[in-house]
Amino acid sequence: MKPVKFSTFLFTMLVGLIFQLYPWSNTGVIIRPDFLLVIMIYWVLQAPYHCNIGWVWFAGLLVDLSTGSLLGQHALTFAITAFLGLIYQRRLVLFNRWQLYLYVIFLFGVQRGLILLLKLFAGGELPDWTYSLPVVSDLILWQFMIIWFGELTRPKKL
Amino acid sequence: MLKGIHQQLDPQESPAFFIQGPKPFSRLMFFCTLSLVMMAVDARFDYLSQVRQWFSTALHPLEVLASAPNEWGRNINTYFTSHNQLIQDNFKLKQQSLIDNAALQRLATVDAENAHLRTLLAGDAPIIPQATLGEVLHMGRDPFSNIITLNRGSRHHITPGQAVVDEQGVVGQITRVYTFTSEVTLITDKKLSIPIQIERNQLRAIAFGEGKRNTLDIPYLPTSVDIKVGDKLVTSGIDGVYPAGLAVAVVTQIKQSQDSPFAKIISRPIAGVNNHKHVLILKVPESPAINPSSENKPVLPRNNAQHLDQSVVEVLQKNNAAVDPHPATETPVLDSPSTEPGAAAATPGAAPAPENTTAPAAPEHP
Repeated sequence: MKPVKFSTFLFTMLVGLIFQLYPWSNTGVIIRPDFLLVIMIYWVLQAPYHCNIGWVWFAGLLVDLSTGSLLGQHALTFAITAFLGLIYQRRLVLFNRWQLYLYVIFLFGVQRGLILLLKLFAGGELPDWTYSLPVVSDLILWQFMIIWFGELTRPKKL
Repeated sequence: MLKGIHQQLDPQESPAFFIQGPKPFSRLMFFCTLSLVMMAVDARFDYLSQVRQWFSTALHPLEVLASAPNEWGRNINTYFTSHNQLIQDNFKLKQQSLIDNAALQRLATVDAENAHLRTLLAGDAPIIPQATLGEVLHMGRDPFSNIITLNRGSRHHITPGQAVVDEQGVVGQITRVYTFTSEVTLITDKKLSIPIQIERNQLRAIAFGEGKRNTLDIPYLPTSVDIKVGDKLVTSGIDGVYPAGLAVAVVTQIKQSQDSPFAKIISRPIAGVNNHKHVLILKVPESPAINPSSENKPVLPRNNAQHLDQSVVEVLQKNNAAVDPHPATETPVLDSPSTEPGAAAATPGAAPAPENTTAPAAPEHP
């Protein structure tokens, strides 16, 4: 984990927001990853000195505004996910690659589950199985984040 | 006894290496409370709509930036459209225009006649809307709701509640307006209902969206109701939002079960609810106040046909059969030109045929 500049963090957040605002078409909406979520969770785990729960919450608020959903919904789930991520943040170096993937899948799954719960409370209907597809695309985006900004786990040979 | 060095440390003093401001848990509690409060305020009150407006206006440049690649792709596609394709399209459009023009000529006559008859019967002039052309920017980003975003907003005098149609029928209703864009809730959304009429027998009902299945449901109709598969549903116009006679849906399935007194009627929207690029946003003018008691007051010869937008004509002409619900029965009234418009309706005895006594009452209760 090499230290990053604050400006890098802000720049990735902006890029994530632009991708979030991209006009996705029919199938795109189904498989589109949660750009801001992946980017923010990555920074929470990689650089907690830049990105705290407040920033993640703010990113969630931006998602709320861009989707036009109830203000605070995504913000709440983003904050909870970031907190769950932070619990194990200092132990991540002990994880191997696959444990980290599992952990990240768990985090993304929790976020989608919480959103689903909130929507169901608001009178929404249960979506079909394709609702869980973005977790896969989230993981692909996560892999890109690792390639661009560095591994979270400790390299094997030290 | 077994006190180690770690137990002598004060738990409050964590090493400076780990200091991150407030503890994550307290941060989480703070932001959870904040978002819960925001959700409650957003759901119950109207305070945050202004905040939403500001943010959306601030995000507009980013939105333009984000949709730029799409725009380029479309432009390149347009550029490379073949010559042959253009000639074909042109030919097709010319033919369509010829057919439309012929139908339009008839419409003008029928419209004038309709206005005249309505004046004679002291009925209200049909409400004919003005329209704004809008372009679909994107399908909603939220998979839970059936919403599309248009490139017209409060800058273009769009207000919440306006009806949105395409060339085939009703698409939905404007539910949220930003400065440059607006959100349209589609008629298939769970939250939207639309007053309809069966075109065949003028039966009125209300259709509700069914959400992700992209269908409409007409609940609370008895199993004995006169609806067949293939019946066309049109707007009844009694809500003042949708002009009367716009095509909404076609009945695709009727389920009758023993344990329910109601039939389950499912219909499919006629408008390409999920696949169109351009739509019309209708502005319904204030309907004239209905006042049945003042029969002797001369009825204003309201004929909005002059303000008729060309594009609305195209929408309406396909459905003009439904605009005039009782065309044939009133013709005898036309034979007495000396009769005052108000008096004809006030005294049913003046009408020559006995079956006409029911006709003047018809337009009064919508």
